Amino acid sequence: MVLASGYDALEGKNNGFSSISSLPMVKGSLEYNGVRVPFSLCRCFGTATAVEPSTSDGLTVQGIIANDWTILNESENDWKSHAAAIAQSIHLIKKRLQWKKLVVRLDMLSAELNKPDLWNDPVHGGKVSREHGSLMGKMKGVLAFEQELLEHIDMIKLAREENDAELEWESVKALLNMRRISKEKELEALLAGEQDPCSCYIEVQAGAGGTESMDWAAMVMQMYKMWAQQRGYRITVVDEMPGEIAGIKRATIKVDGEYAFGYAKAEVGVHRLVRISPFDSNRRRHTSFAAVAVIPILGDGSSRVRINESDLRIERFRAGGPGGQHANTTESAVRIVHIPTGVTATCQNERSQHQNKASAMAVLQCRLDQLEMARQAQMNAQHTKSLTDITWGSQIRSYVLHPYRMVKDLRTNYEVSDPDSVLEGDLDGFIMSYLSASLDKDDNP
Amino acid sequence: MRVSFIIGYGVPKFSILLRPHGSCYLCRPMCSSSTSALTTSQKPRTSLFLRPPTHSATLSDLQKWQNWAKNLASSVGSTFVDLDNGPDSTLLRRELKWLVEDVTEDGSISAEQQRNIRLRVSLEELYKLWKQRIEERRPFQYIVGCEHWRDLVLCVEEGVLIPRPETEKLVDLVADVVSDNQGLREGLWADMGTGTGAIAIGIGMILRSYGRIIATDLSPLAVGVATFNVQRHGLQDVIEIRQGSWFEPLKDVEGKLAGIVSNPPYIPSDHISGLQAEVGRHEPKMALDGGVNGMNDLLHLCKGAASMLKPGGFLAFETNGEKQCKHLVEYMETNAGGIFCDVNLVPDFAGVHRFVTAFHK
Repeated sequence: MVLASGYDALEGKNNGFSSISSLPMVKGSLEYNGVRVPFSLCRCFGTATAVEPSTSDGLTVQGIIANDWTILNESENDWKSHAAAIAQSIHLIKKRLQWKKLVVRLDMLSAELNKPDLWNDPVHGGKVSREHGSLMGKMKGVLAFEQELLEHIDMIKLAREENDAELEWESVKALLNMRRISKEKELEALLAGEQDPCSCYIEVQAGAGGTESMDWAAMVMQMYKMWAQQRGYRITVVDEMPGEIAGIKRATIKVDGEYAFGYAKAEVGVHRLVRISPFDSNRRRHTSFAAVAVIPILGDGSSRVRINESDLRIERFRAGGPGGQHANTTESAVRIVHIPTGVTATCQNERSQHQNKASAMAVLQCRLDQLEMARQAQMNAQHTKSLTDITWGSQIRSYVLHPYRMVKDLRTNYEVSDPDSVLEGDLDGFIMSYLSASLDKDDNP
Repeated sequence: MRVSFIIGYGVPKFSILLRPHGSCYLCRPMCSSSTSALTTSQKPRTSLFLRPPTHSATLSDLQKWQNWAKNLASSVGSTFVDLDNGPDSTLLRRELKWLVEDVTEDGSISAEQQRNIRLRVSLEELYKLWKQRIEERRPFQYIVGCEHWRDLVLCVEEGVLIPRPETEKLVDLVADVVSDNQGLREGLWADMGTGTGAIAIGIGMILRSYGRIIATDLSPLAVGVATFNVQRHGLQDVIEIRQGSWFEPLKDVEGKLAGIVSNPPYIPSDHISGLQAEVGRHEPKMALDGGVNGMNDLLHLCKGAASMLKPGGFLAFETNGEKQCKHLVEYMETNAGGIFCDVNLVPDFAGVHRFVTAFHK
């Protein structure tokens, strides 16, 4: 049982291997986890300190970087330039994936998979096996890319020795192609977190300061709606508490689409606005705050918190009067309270109570999942960073409309002098700079 | 105001072109609140969302209408709330959004759309409908001709009670008892006074191929609407609609029913005149007025259930609240000759004791 599942995890995503095993390197296979696997895999995964992949004359990716070859424009058909650019990308990708941690984690999971009693708890067994498979897939992709680079360099050298201009031309072209792909891979590596591909909820809550802040909260929510629309995500308003005079006290939208959470998580925190208040007859300058939270909607594959029906209190929202046949109302919002944790969820934008309840339950489920993830992260030192991701967090960005005009991210110092475009959803610059800053600063790999 | 309104919009030509009986429904809601007497046809009118998009308007005209409607909704403020616990501006604006959802093809009006937007009713009609909503307090569900209830969309029209959100729970109560009771799951159920057919369809979705349901209503209009809704949900093999007063059309199944559910009229007669305008002015009194203390029909159903249910059978009734619930429980426990057991009060989500459930011994 253990062996079989271990084997599945290895063989299941083996497509990438055909290219690796055709590389000019020592071929073979070894016993690993009790099953036969290609030698190259053992070398890379068996021990973290294993020899790095290299060309026939010993050139490695690190070696290429150390050579400090000048990186020219793509249009210059210089193989060294291409190779150096690709090597830097690989370096960056590994850094973004937190390669060293990945290797340690994989070793841990492999050891776990080897335990004979793993499948006594099938839920845990499935989780370990799934994570093992997913890490393996991620690492294999990068290693295959690395091998491909070295193979082409070998080919170019070979072609030069044999004066085969056509082969050399083919290989340089292949390198150019890799160089282009590597830029995409760099971006993909920004969103390599387990929950990054998920859809999510975005919540905006007005800070202290009454109407002024509620208006700002509405502006922030509008900014996310427009951003999501521009990215082609589907948005649904789940919950919206309008302010008495203007704006919103709080609102929750659901953002459906690939990597919605991966991007939106960069927005968690307090957003500050400075402007001449339209609500102040004396036209004074005001500072307002709005807090943003982002909750991933875990896929079916993930283990989710089990909710006991008996732990829930479900209340009609804005109930009053005798109800029943006495009242005709299209308001059927409910609030669900999870009694043990005090976590609540409300939905009021569906057209039936049943649907409002279902939507509120979905939000509640995600909140509890997130709470559970935070609890586990606290126990798991590897993921402590994600802990700060779920709280409302501290101030992350400043939007100044007066006396000067600027939006500045306090985490990355990324700034834009056109607040209107940002408020119209042009957020990708902020998001990307934050994602890369938060991943690239680590001393990886 | 109201008179000129009727003259101005009485029988618009488009609806005659659209559907032969269009004129009938258009005059009905405006003439009287007790509408069933005027009805000659039992074929329900088509809900807006089910109509073909044969009309169109330019984006700017539609936006003009939307702004006008928004302003009208906003002008209401809390007037209706203070008057009779009616809708406030926020609620009305949300209804407006849903109206747009129902009459447009892709559910919203946005600047990215083409200049001409296809509509399921004419722009003229849209003005008229929203005016009716605000000025006459015509219920939103009658305006759009449907009510979203549980995961169903039920067609509804004047003369038939609009299903209430509270009543959704009756179906949950049935789902709970049939989940671990095969006898009830595969038995014959009755929904007394079905109206739109809401409860019967809700239960039908749960029983599906296992059990069967007979849904009754005295009103021929309700029978027409319920039949349509049952067919629209593909449940004609599960639910049979019969016309008649309470148990009269059920004589052939006496003592054979596995379950009886009902949301009968339960409002005390002297409360009728003070009802929220949407209810009092527009919904059928026949479906609301439960006699002096509102208990006439509930007690009648309770008595009937004693002989209609088979041993082990289940009943669940909706009531006006705690007072009626207690009254019913007391009746079942002391006056019903020990026929009922496990009598239970169940609250709705607002915390009001809304339902009574019991088993036949």
